[in-house]
Parts: sequence; structure tokens; C-alpha cells
Amino acid sequence: MKTAVFWGCCILTSQYAYEMSLRQVLPKFDIDVVDLRESTCCGDPIKSVNDFTANYLAARALSLANLTSLENLLVPCNRCHFTISEAKKTIQNNTKIGRKIVGLLKEEGLEYNPNIKIWHTIDLLHDYVGLERIRKAVTKPLKGLKVASHVGCQIIRYSDLGRVDDAENPKKLDELICALGAEVVDYPEKLDCCGAALMRSHPDSALSLAGSKLRAIQNLPANGLVVSCPDCQLMFDAKQKDAGTTVGAKLNVPVVYYTQLLGLALGIDEKKLGLDLNQSPVDQLLNRISA
Amino acid sequence: MTRTGVYVCHCGLNIAGVVDVEKVADYAKTLPDVVVAKHYTYMCSEPGQHMIQKDIKAKKLDRIVIATCSPRMHEETFRKAVAEAGLNPYLTEIVNLREQVSWAHTHEPEKATEKAKALVRMGVARAQLLEPLEKRRVSVEKSVLVVGGGIAGIQTSLDLANAGFPVYLVEKAPSIGGRMAQLDKTFPTLDCSACILTPKMVDAAKHPNITMITNAEVTDVKGFVGNYEVSILKKPRYVDEKRCVGCELCTQVCPVKVSDTFNENLTEKRAISIYSAHAVPKIAMINPDCCLRLKYDKGVCGKCQDACEAKAINFEQQPETIQVKVGSVVLAVGSGVFNASEMAELGYGRFKNVISNIEFERISDASGPTGGKILSPKDGKTPKTIAFIQCVGSRDKRFHEYCCRVGCMVTLKQAILAREKIRENVRIYVCYIDMRAFGKGYDEFYRRARDMDIDFVAGLPSEIHSSPDGSLYFDVYDKGTNKLLQIRADLVVLGTGLVPNNDLAEISALFHASRGADGFLLEAHPKLKPLESPMAGVFLAGACQGPKDIPDTVAQASGAAAKALDLLSHGEIELEPLKAIVDEDLCSGCKICASICPFVAIEMKTDIVDGEEKTMAEVIEAMCQGCGLCSSACPTGAIRIQQYSNKQVLTEVEAALAVTCAEGGK
Amino acid sequence: MSLTDLMSMAKPNIEARDKILAKLNGKELVNCFQCIKCTSGCTALKLLELKPHEIIKLVNLGFVDELPSSDIIWTCVTCLKCVQRCPQKASPYHVIIALRNLAVEKEAKVPEGYLKAVSQILETGQVEAYQKIVTRKMETVDRECLKLPKISPPKESFQAVFMKAMEEKTT
Repeated sequence: MKTAVFWGCCILTSQYAYEMSLRQVLPKFDIDVVDLRESTCCGDPIKSVNDFTANYLAARALSLANLTSLENLLVPCNRCHFTISEAKKTIQNNTKIGRKIVGLLKEEGLEYNPNIKIWHTIDLLHDYVGLERIRKAVTKPLKGLKVASHVGCQIIRYSDLGRVDDAENPKKLDELICALGAEVVDYPEKLDCCGAALMRSHPDSALSLAGSKLRAIQNLPANGLVVSCPDCQLMFDAKQKDAGTTVGAKLNVPVVYYTQLLGLALGIDEKKLGLDLNQSPVDQLLNRISA
Repeated sequence: MTRTGVYVCHCGLNIAGVVDVEKVADYAKTLPDVVVAKHYTYMCSEPGQHMIQKDIKAKKLDRIVIATCSPRMHEETFRKAVAEAGLNPYLTEIVNLREQVSWAHTHEPEKATEKAKALVRMGVARAQLLEPLEKRRVSVEKSVLVVGGGIAGIQTSLDLANAGFPVYLVEKAPSIGGRMAQLDKTFPTLDCSACILTPKMVDAAKHPNITMITNAEVTDVKGFVGNYEVSILKKPRYVDEKRCVGCELCTQVCPVKVSDTFNENLTEKRAISIYSAHAVPKIAMINPDCCLRLKYDKGVCGKCQDACEAKAINFEQQPETIQVKVGSVVLAVGSGVFNASEMAELGYGRFKNVISNIEFERISDASGPTGGKILSPKDGKTPKTIAFIQCVGSRDKRFHEYCCRVGCMVTLKQAILAREKIRENVRIYVCYIDMRAFGKGYDEFYRRARDMDIDFVAGLPSEIHSSPDGSLYFDVYDKGTNKLLQIRADLVVLGTGLVPNNDLAEISALFHASRGADGFLLEAHPKLKPLESPMAGVFLAGACQGPKDIPDTVAQASGAAAKALDLLSHGEIELEPLKAIVDEDLCSGCKICASICPFVAIEMKTDIVDGEEKTMAEVIEAMCQGCGLCSSACPTGAIRIQQYSNKQVLTEVEAALAVTCAEGGK
Repeated sequence: MSLTDLMSMAKPNIEARDKILAKLNGKELVNCFQCIKCTSGCTALKLLELKPHEIIKLVNLGFVDELPSSDIIWTCVTCLKCVQRCPQKASPYHVIIALRNLAVEKEAKVPEGYLKAVSQILETGQVEAYQKIVTRKMETVDRECLKLPKISPPKESFQAVFMKAMEEKTT
């Protein structure tokens, strides 16, 4: 299938590994991604400033997708996915706001299309591609690999909005990992937040949240942590050292995107999956796989 | 030409607070055929009724229009009053100025008054076309079907049987006793539940007027109030009831283990077993889904048959259909308990030491899986800390919005029992939103709990976690101290609420007993008719009508029995005449009415008319509810509802559309 | 007139509360019966003392005025646990967002990071600038050398419309 893709800000400007790995793995399942005409913000940080403008920006993303004439929009970032999903619902339920936003979009010659289906990496792979197909495509099963998963907050909550997975018992990411031949380890802190949203105003607290979770994961019989959101990856991977300092722990947890793990299982080159860019000690994990 | 009297009720301030009742009465005076128009504070009161009766006699009135509250409230009252004055009661018309005017338009008094005038005008116009009608009498069966053998069903059955009425008591499980049989003690007296229940169970089983049919379900209901024909399917026990002595030798030799539902699946029993420790009847039963011989092969096992000295085992036993004729039905099918795995964040189903309150009850019961010792399911040890969490599945828009009514009292009881059994070697915490101890002796019971060093935390946890060693922990913010507390417990008891039973959908369909928005069986009026279903002849008792405790259940059960006695005691009942009637000259026998009647109240009959066979519709008056569907569907106008002919309805419509004029004829 | 907070002598501002209610599209906020589940599970409670139940109660009673200028409304981590688990769907998260919007409107204390985000979007369409990343192998890379496609910033027409959107009253 052909799907438009909305990368957001984080992925395009620093979390290159997510983009690289996605662009590598999706074609293996006959999925073509089509970039939008512009790189814009989904509106998430603006929510706290002006909720209306945030909805407008999210609707703008959907109207840019509309320009591609495609019916599907892949949104790999959890926060963008939530913001765009909420905007879609708000416009659907509140005709006053909807009318105003449609009017603003018209001023740029953009048209809002309410029928575009919004995907995240996880449900695109789990529900559209399917576990069977992924299992069949695996050429290098990740046998013996045990990982913990972190699915994040904004793609499982809140259920009434219709999210990617169940809020209290999200299984899809775990099942995707198992489809690669690896094992998943459960842990009580599994649904805890990475703290990314606080980086803008309370960076120490944000790092403390990330550090606490990493410390708990470090104590598990797991070889690493798997995420699928650029904000979560930023906290656990790029900021791992700072997080460790904040909570007074020496952290040594390999953190990878699911799509990077998927790429490895499909036999794709490490460099192409952006595995050089991970700041956490992923070599430990990579050695395990090739061993 | 008629002589109409119009009476406008103030209903205290309910109507008069919004509508200018004097203006409405004055306006009524100007309407055609209106001889007298008055207004009064409470028309339904004795002086109000007297006023109408006096005028009927003095002014020779032959039509009465009363502008008051909903006819569902006092139509019967006014009809009786009118009849006492010598006028046919069906020449009374009620105009609703409360629910349809003052309560609907509370903030627009002027417009409300204009609407009131218009409604009175419509009522007066319709009154002119009212016809005098008579109630019909129909004979009834003086016997009752009670569906459900819990405390509600048992109490109802005993009351009816003692009054001399034959009762068929049908129970789905192999034993009567229901939910109360599963309880250890009852609040607030801490009576032993089995001790107060089993005598009643035995009375019900032995009563000459009660036919107790266990391991059975109702499969079909035909007929109408006073004349129900019910089919009951008695499922086979594969044990001869007349021979089995309840010695349980069979249970001891049966090789197949089965989860024990009476013990909430905390233990296992055998494929052949007696349902519970205090079962009535105390007769064994074989589970056909698990028994090797019944499931697989005729030649296999059979150990129970070998062991049974009474020769009671019969693998060939067949299901039996029993047909009964009864005059009324009491539904007492009880309620279910919320399945807490729906609230995944609390860990029920994932963590063995998170249990529901009904599971705690079985653990606490001396005849339960642990012999009455409070032990954590995971390791079988006595817990050092027990935490109770309230409102699981209740007061929650995500699951059930209602308050389960008994959750707080159940938890208080269980906390007190835990303290009494384990003494000082356990810390007990109750996490709650509100403590609802509303009944007689209930708040004293709450104080008793506080006296027993049970800690109450004003706040609920968001989620429960399990440590690697299996102990449970959760964070909870306490409103009283403003502290975030972490509680580590070896046993967490969830205050799971009462929910509608799984089979209520079927029961509802079988008996045409409607359900409310909350899923429980619906009463005819929440305040004044809590014991009857809107379906004539069907009464409600116990938790199937809404969650409630034992005192309320027993009260309601006796009330339902009284209602059934009230209905059937004369051997006949009167039927409202506002039903469908067929003009046989116009009926073409097309069967459209019969096919759409939701109460199955129309039958097609074939008669000889003018020397020819003619198929025509016939209304079964006792079942007809006067809904009017047939009337609107009939292509020839042959079937109509009495008092609601096309002319009668259209006259009202025309009156509605007329402009309110100040002048009128006399 | 009828209610006073004796600690601060503050009085309820019913108008401000009703404005927030109207903005939230629903009356669920007033359905809160203080079960405290939100606070018990709040990610920001331990570190930053955020008590969502308290914020909801303050708004419900009308004590809105003290909140926009407080620091506490900026501590929410947006994990959405309170929205997910509230038995009355009172959603403290949405209330907090509404209070943040109010703070911006009133020009009360707004963390710089958010205001920076606005100007960044206005200028470039995005909240972040393109970064160079140093890999574990000590190489410096950017989009170009990683051969990732260039996606253009928003067309000129965007800026004026964005500013128009920002003028929309928040409450």
C-alpha cells in the first residue's frame, strides 16, 4: 500500500535512526511512504499555549496529507499521533471549531479531509502487515534475545479516543517483538511514562522519571529496551547518561527502536538502520544477536 | 352536546408555580360545552375529589376533564371518584399540565400558561367524543411461578404457600439458596448466613404447596396475566432423586476434577458431586461436560455407579419438560458480580492474591475452600496485611454508573471478620471514596470497624503492582493526611459490585419484562411500583431489580408475594377496556396486525360469516396493552383502540391547531 | 459573596469556571466526586507534587484565579493516566491544558520553553532545529550525509495564518 507519512519535528531534526529504519523495513512489506509537501509541527507543544492553534496545526498536517490524495497517513511519533487523533475528533464533534479551522486552512488553499486513516508504526505493522507475514519475512531470527518493551503513553491512552493498543494491557509491541524470535520480559514499571513532556519546563524531573524506569529495567533479565517513539528514545537513549546522573545510578541499558530490531531480523545492514546513531550501549545487544 | 366540567389542579406549586392556573380555568369556561371550570390546590385529595363528585350530581355533568399531573399518577383515582358519583369512569379525560407543561417549561411561565390552555382545549374537544366503557373480568389461575431459588425466591414462595397458593419454585442450580448460601456472615449482625438461610431452604423444600424444581430453567412462556402457560426444562442430574441419600460415596471415587463454581473456582470438586455443603435438595449431580462416561464412551468409568449403594446413578436419564399453568410470575433471579479483570490495572486475574469480595466470602466461610481460615491464595499463608479497595466496577462511567449499595457494608463485614479471625497480627486497610452505611445498625457497624483498629484511607489507588516475591503494592493518596502512601499487602480484596446477571437478557425476553438503562429488570414506577414489572402479572423481587442487601431483598420478596396474592386472590381480574377491538365487517383477514403485535395479543380465527368462511383478527384482551401499533398498520381501519379512534385522535389534533380564542360557545 | 477562602480571602470566580467548562465541551468536570484515583496514580506527584484532584476541586468551587499564575499547572507530564482511569471522565489533564491556555492569555508565568516553541514554529514551521548527531563511532552526521530526503519548510502563506490562529481566544 501507499501511505503518506507525517514525521513531526523530533524525527526529522535529530532522531534520524527511526526514519532510516522505517524507510528500510516498510518496503519489505510492500509499503511505500510518501513524504508531505512540507515539514511542520503537529501542534503538540502549542497545546499548552493555545489549544485551538494546536488543533489547527494538526488539521493542517491532515490537509497536507490530503494533497497526496492518499487515504492513509503514517504517524510514527506517539505525541504527533495523539495530537492529530484528538484534533480529528474535536473537529468532528465541535462544528464551531471545525468551521473555523477549515476556514483557516482554506486561506492557504488547503482542504481538510476527515476520512484519512491515521496509523502508527505499531498498528501498521501489527494489524495491517500482520504477525504471520513478519514471521515469514524474518531471515535472522533473534533467538536468545530477551528484551523489555516500552510502548509509551500517548498511543495507548486514552481509550475513548480510539488508540493503537489497549491502555492497561498493551500487547501489540510485545507480539511484534516475539514475531522476530525474541522474548519479552514483563515488569511492573512497564506502563510508566518516560517524562519527555517535562523537558521543556522541568528537565531534572523529566530525567528523573526516565532514570528511574531505566534503573528498574537494568535489574531485569533483559538484554535491552525496545521503544517506538522518538521522544521516548530521546529520553532513554540520548539522555541515558544524564538520566543516570539525576537518579544516582550507573545506567547501561541498550535502547533500540523496534524498527531497528525488525530490520536486523530481516537481514538489513546495521548502518542502514541507523544503529550507529544510538547513544546507549547497543553494541552489547548487537553482539548477542550475531553470536 | 355534552355538559363538561373542567378542573385545573395547582398540584401545590408543582403546576401553579409555573402555570397561571386561574387563567387556565377562566379560559376553560369559554370553551364549547364547558359548564363549569374550577381550579384547586390538590385535585387528587379528598376535598378535590368531592368537588368533582358534587358537581357531577348538582350540575348533571357527563364529561370530566382534569388538568393535573401525568395520568400515570392518578387516572385510576379520578376514575374511581367519578364512578362513585354515578358517571361512567371512562368519560374522564386527564390533561397533563405537570410533566408536559410546568416541569418541561419551568423557566417560561407565560408560554407555559398558553400551552396549558391549548392542552385543556384539546382535552375538552376529545372529551366530547369519549365513549362509556366497562371493565371486563377474566378468570385466573390461582398459582404462581417463582423463577429463582435464592433468598428472594424462597421468601416469596413461603409467603405465597402459607397463604394457600400453589407455587412452582424453579432454580437453575442444583440447589436452592442462591448468593446468600455463599456468604459466611451477614451484616450488620454477623449472623451466620447458612444458619438463618437453611431453615428457610428446608421449609421451602418441605412445604406441601411448593413444588421445587431444581437444575431447571424456564424455556417458554405463553399466555397472559392470570393465565400463563410455562414450559420448564428440567436438566438431567443422571441421579435418581428418589433414591439418592446424599451420602457422597460417589464423589469419593470419581476420578474427574472439576472447578467448583459454588466456591468461586477457588477449589475443585468432582464430576459427580453435591452442589454445596448445605445443598437443598441434597442430591448428587453429574456434570455431563466433564463426566467421562457421558462425554466419551458408554463403557468407560462408571465408578460412581459401582460405589452407589442406593443404586441411584442413571446415565440414561433424560431431560424433562414440565408444563405448568400459573396466574402470575415472580422473577427473583438475582444478580452477578462484576468481573474485575475488566479493570486490568488492578491485577485481578494476573495476581493470585488479588481477589473479589465474593471469593473472600468463600474463604471466610467454614464450609469453604480453607475451612474458614483467612489465607492468601498464592501461598496459603495467613496475610500480614490486607487491603480492601472499594467501588470496583461501580460508580464508574466506564463500567456501571450506579452505586452497588452493598459494597461498603460487605467490606466492613469482611474487614471485621478478618480482624476477629487473625486478631492483632494483621494490618487492615480500607481504601474508599465514601463509606455508605445507610441502613439500620449500619453506621454503628462502621463505628465497630473503626473500634477494631481497621484503617480507613480516603482515596483509591490507580493501579496495583506485584513485586518479584509475589507481594502486592500500590500507591494511594489519602485525603485526610494529604500524604501519598504506599501499601504493601499479601491480600487485596476488591469491592466488586453487583451487576445484572448474564441470563437477564433471556429472562427479559421470555417474560417481556423490560430492563432499565443499568441492565437490571425495570420496575413499573421507581417510587410507587417497585415490585412490579410493566408487564401485567410479572413481579420482581430481589437483586434482579437492582442491587440490594438481604433485609431489602426479603422485604421486597414478601411484597412481591403480596402483589401476586392481590392479583389472584379473587380468582378473577378486571381488564382495562382501552384495548384493540376489531370491526369484523371491515376486517379483510390480511394478518398485518397479528404479525406486528409486540405482545402476541392478536390471533386469526376463521368463522362462518354470511354462509362463507372468513378469516378475521381476534384480540386476546388480557394480553393487549393498547399500544396502537395494529391500529396504525391496519389498511382498512378495521382494528382500533377503544377511546382512540381516528376521529377521537384527529379531533384533538384539530383543537391543538386552533388559535386560542377568548370567546367560545356555552 | 457566599464563599470565602479564609487563608487567602479569595472568592470564587464562577464566570471563569464556566468559561473553562464551556471550553471543555462537556460537563464531566463537575462530576468529579474526589475518588483521588488520579492523584494516586499521577506520574508528576512524587517529584513535583501535582495533585490533579485538588486542581479539579479548586476549579469546581470556582477558585480559578490562583491557578494560571501557579507553577503547579506546568508540572503535568501528559501521561494521560488520569484521563484513562477517572470513573467520572472528569479528565484533569484537559482541565490543566485549559488552565495553561488561560495563563498564556493572562500573560502569567509561562515556562520559556513553550514560548520559544511558538516563535520557532512561526519561523521554521517546526519546534526543533536540524541537529548534527555524533555517533558511537565518533562520526558527526546530519540528514544530508545520511542521505535522508529534504522536506521543505512551510510555504510563506503559513505564517500569517498561524498568527491568525494564535489570536483565537483560548477560553
